[in-house]
Amino acid sequence: MTDTEVVVVGGGSTGCGVARDLAMRGVDVTLVEQGNLTHGTTGRMHGLLHSGGRYAVSDQSSAQECIAENRVLRDIADHCVEMTGGQFVQLEGDPDEYFEEKLAGCRECGIPVEVLSGQQAREEEPYLTKSVKRAIRVPDGAVDPFRLCVANAASAEEHGARIETHAEVVAVLKNGTQVTGVEVRHDSGPGKREHRRAGERETITADHVVNAAGAWAGQLGEMAGADVAVRPSKGAMVVTNCRQVDTVINRCRPKGDADIVVPHEATAILGTTDVEVDDPEDYPEEQWEVDLLIDELSKLVPILGEARTVRSFWGVRPLYEPPGAATEDPTDITRDYFLLDHADRDDLAGLTTIVGGKFTTYRLMAESVADHVCGKLGVSADCKTADVPLPGSEDFSVLREYMDEFGLRSPVGRRSVQRLGSRADEVLTTDGPNPVLCDCEAVTRAEVRDAIEGSGTDLNAVRIRTRASMGNCQGGFCCHRMAAELHPEYDESQSREALDELFQERWKGQRHALWGEQLSQAALNYALHATTMNRDRDPAEGDGTLDFGRFDSGAPNRPEETEARDGD
Amino acid sequence: MSETEDVNDPGDVREEETVESDEFEPVQVFGDSESMDLRPGSDDCYKCSTCDTNCPVAEVDDEFPGPKFQGPEQWRLKRKDDREVDDSITSCSNCMRCDSACPSDVPLSQMHNTARGEFVSEQMEKLSREYVRNRILANYGTLARLGSKVPRLTNFVMGNSLVQTLNEKLLGITSEREFPEFAEETFREWWEKRGGTAASKERAQEARAQRGGAKIERDEKRVAYFHGCYSNYNTPAVGKATVRVFERFGYEVLVPPQQCSGTPMFANGMLEDARRSAETNVRELAAAIEDGADVIASCTSCSMALRQEYPELFDFEGTASVAARTYEAAEYLRLHEDLDGALADAEVDLDPVGTEVEGEEDGDAEFAYHAPCHARNQGIAGQAVELLDHLDGASAEDVGPSCSGISGTYGWKAEKYDASMEIGAEMIEHMEEADAETGLTECPTCAMQMEHGTGYDVRHPMEVLEDALVDGESA
Repeated sequence: MTDTEVVVVGGGSTGCGVARDLAMRGVDVTLVEQGNLTHGTTGRMHGLLHSGGRYAVSDQSSAQECIAENRVLRDIADHCVEMTGGQFVQLEGDPDEYFEEKLAGCRECGIPVEVLSGQQAREEEPYLTKSVKRAIRVPDGAVDPFRLCVANAASAEEHGARIETHAEVVAVLKNGTQVTGVEVRHDSGPGKREHRRAGERETITADHVVNAAGAWAGQLGEMAGADVAVRPSKGAMVVTNCRQVDTVINRCRPKGDADIVVPHEATAILGTTDVEVDDPEDYPEEQWEVDLLIDELSKLVPILGEARTVRSFWGVRPLYEPPGAATEDPTDITRDYFLLDHADRDDLAGLTTIVGGKFTTYRLMAESVADHVCGKLGVSADCKTADVPLPGSEDFSVLREYMDEFGLRSPVGRRSVQRLGSRADEVLTTDGPNPVLCDCEAVTRAEVRDAIEGSGTDLNAVRIRTRASMGNCQGGFCCHRMAAELHPEYDESQSREALDELFQERWKGQRHALWGEQLSQAALNYALHATTMNRDRDPAEGDGTLDFGRFDSGAPNRPEETEARDGD
Repeated sequence: MSETEDVNDPGDVREEETVESDEFEPVQVFGDSESMDLRPGSDDCYKCSTCDTNCPVAEVDDEFPGPKFQGPEQWRLKRKDDREVDDSITSCSNCMRCDSACPSDVPLSQMHNTARGEFVSEQMEKLSREYVRNRILANYGTLARLGSKVPRLTNFVMGNSLVQTLNEKLLGITSEREFPEFAEETFREWWEKRGGTAASKERAQEARAQRGGAKIERDEKRVAYFHGCYSNYNTPAVGKATVRVFERFGYEVLVPPQQCSGTPMFANGMLEDARRSAETNVRELAAAIEDGADVIASCTSCSMALRQEYPELFDFEGTASVAARTYEAAEYLRLHEDLDGALADAEVDLDPVGTEVEGEEDGDAEFAYHAPCHARNQGIAGQAVELLDHLDGASAEDVGPSCSGISGTYGWKAEKYDASMEIGAEMIEHMEEADAETGLTECPTCAMQMEHGTGYDVRHPMEVLEDALVDGESA
């Protein structure tokens, strides 16, 4: 008897999708993830819901999958998707032939298109450059990968799955040529993350292991003794403070760096670059990438040249090539996904790897994995993930009327409902006062508390669920308010550690945007935190205790103590 | 904007700011100012909250979320199809203090004005008492034109306590305040009777001849006077004083046709009304500028509207040029004439209320001066006190930096009256503590509040300048 039928390794969109799919078919699933959900590539993408237009010339089968899944997600994940529409914009001087090819390609793939004149394109998006010649309108959208991933995990849990975050696989268990489970190291617990609680190792035996570790799939394969040639390729993205565009803007020319702007929640995301790296966890984040994105995309949307950027981040694509392909340029590596049956391939039963692919088609990838695993397990249930809405996307139409009832100011109510979808009522109806904790993103205490319920002391997990601390101040004015909500369920030292971790994460991305307004912001944040929370204390001197009595009694003037200090 | 090229004052820094950069100029999609995209303005906000701490309404009204929320936060959270504006925008009094408080140049009042305009046009019930009342208050100039045709009757009716009670019950206009009296002769009637521009030209020439030795920078010195509604219908003495003081310095005064500056319309979100008025004003004033005039105003809210709100909200031909060439009246004289010197040579013998304050050394007429918020925004809050320092026989004491609380039409609304008085309490207390029994300010509605709170007479600095510098005129 095993602990669970299937272990899924990887809490990104694919892993969570697989867990949901299997759980809905009645399979007992445990998902393990080394960080929090979306820790890997899912949390580091530009949030484009592909219409398929980007692949309509080079890779038509991907394009067809994209438009099909685009329609499915609008339906089952309404609260994660904003149907912004998209444009492929041709500037004066961009090749006419490619424009025509793109148009024909879209039509061949069943992607609804419309040609816009330069004037029409600019009427839709006023900040587009004047040198727009024409544009193709496509049904691109914006999707919040965090919310989508979390909703998949929540649905899996509702169907009986166990989700373990901060649980890193340290060994793959084998019995001869049969994979029998994994050994994980919990950061704290098992169970919800809790700072300062000791973690333990756990052995989880299973009939089947799914390797959905994305850019880390090669490393997991290695633990099992299988060669999975993931070719990780990094891409840089820059986040602006506010939206300059409300539709997805693509440059209509053959593939290249820096050719897309995606409106994302209250911001816009500029993408991207494509450079192969050796290690998905350790690669250089280079300033030229940031400069390139801003310079190139300013040609498309000139105001971007002046726009405030709040941070930059890098994601690693888990590209995969079948053995022997040996493509030189990473931009030429296929974006298709591959299901590796290690029983056939490496004579290693009980292990399936899913690699490659793209976010928009995560559900389809998950479906094919679940089909495959169910075949192995002898389960005959059908896939339901294309038809059953995710938690938050049920009954979405009634929501407009909710806003007034929560006693929130219009933009706060509107944004809360846009994020929570059909869960708004359950989350926002509170007895006590419900102040806004994150002013930039309009996140209330009720929403933060709901997230804490789901994720323990991990404030980064709270962040991705709510967007709190993701606005222009990058947490300067709200990180501590979020941490304060951990108390009294968690104690002071846990809350402080959780705060440090969140603030550190916020700082990480801002380092690449420290000029202009964001530099002023960082300076103000520093001053506020240093003067009010003593956060500029020398970490070497901190021993975790603070003698509060000294604030009242003044500095010690016993000579022996002064001497002892000097002697250190 | 070609008209600015004709402007011949290279030292004026505002020109640069008011001429829009062409670089990423968006196409004009909507045509109306309510639909402007001001989200990029939120880039300048780093959330320091200085605006909130300087907002006089937020100080007394706990329900008001403050300018940071109203402006950059609310704008940043907008998506293209999000139309709804929070109704708290109607509690902003448009004092525009947040603009000068902001250390980072966030276009706060522009954000508030556009959001309020959008709220009023999209969300406010057009038959509601509040809308009707606000529309009436915002269009004070139109009503005043009618009322001043029969000034005595109007004064009698508006002063009737029954009418005041009805106003409060039916319209929500507070009965606590006395309506301002209409003058029996408007400023413009006086101006026409006096001979209009031709007479002004003569007087200016006389003055120049008389003071031949004094410095004359240009042969043709010409100003276009934007008198606004209040000095036309209610306090023509301010208008007359302004004309006489300018003529005394050798300026020929033009009084172009004009409508309300739009200030009360902006504050009530009636942007279409404001647009119509502004269009006339810009056309007429731009024509005067073509004729070599600069624009002066005696009301600081009027000059504020022409200088800042017009270019932020409208783009008629000539808007930038009018904004760049508009000055507050005394500010203009300080820039172009030796006003300080003229005052130092003058003295006044004022006995404004016929009372001597005990302990006064030389019988100076003492004024309790309040700087209007909109004067503060134009950087001239200290001007009146400085000017009177040079003048023998009069002096002014600044009663502090607080807002008077009336903010134009705000304090006339029954539901805002209490907040208005709470905001104004500091000013009123300081006035009472000052060694003065007469108020002094440039803003007509601040003057109403000062008078309402203390019972003092309130005068305009131009009237004091007239007393000091202009020999009597028999007209």
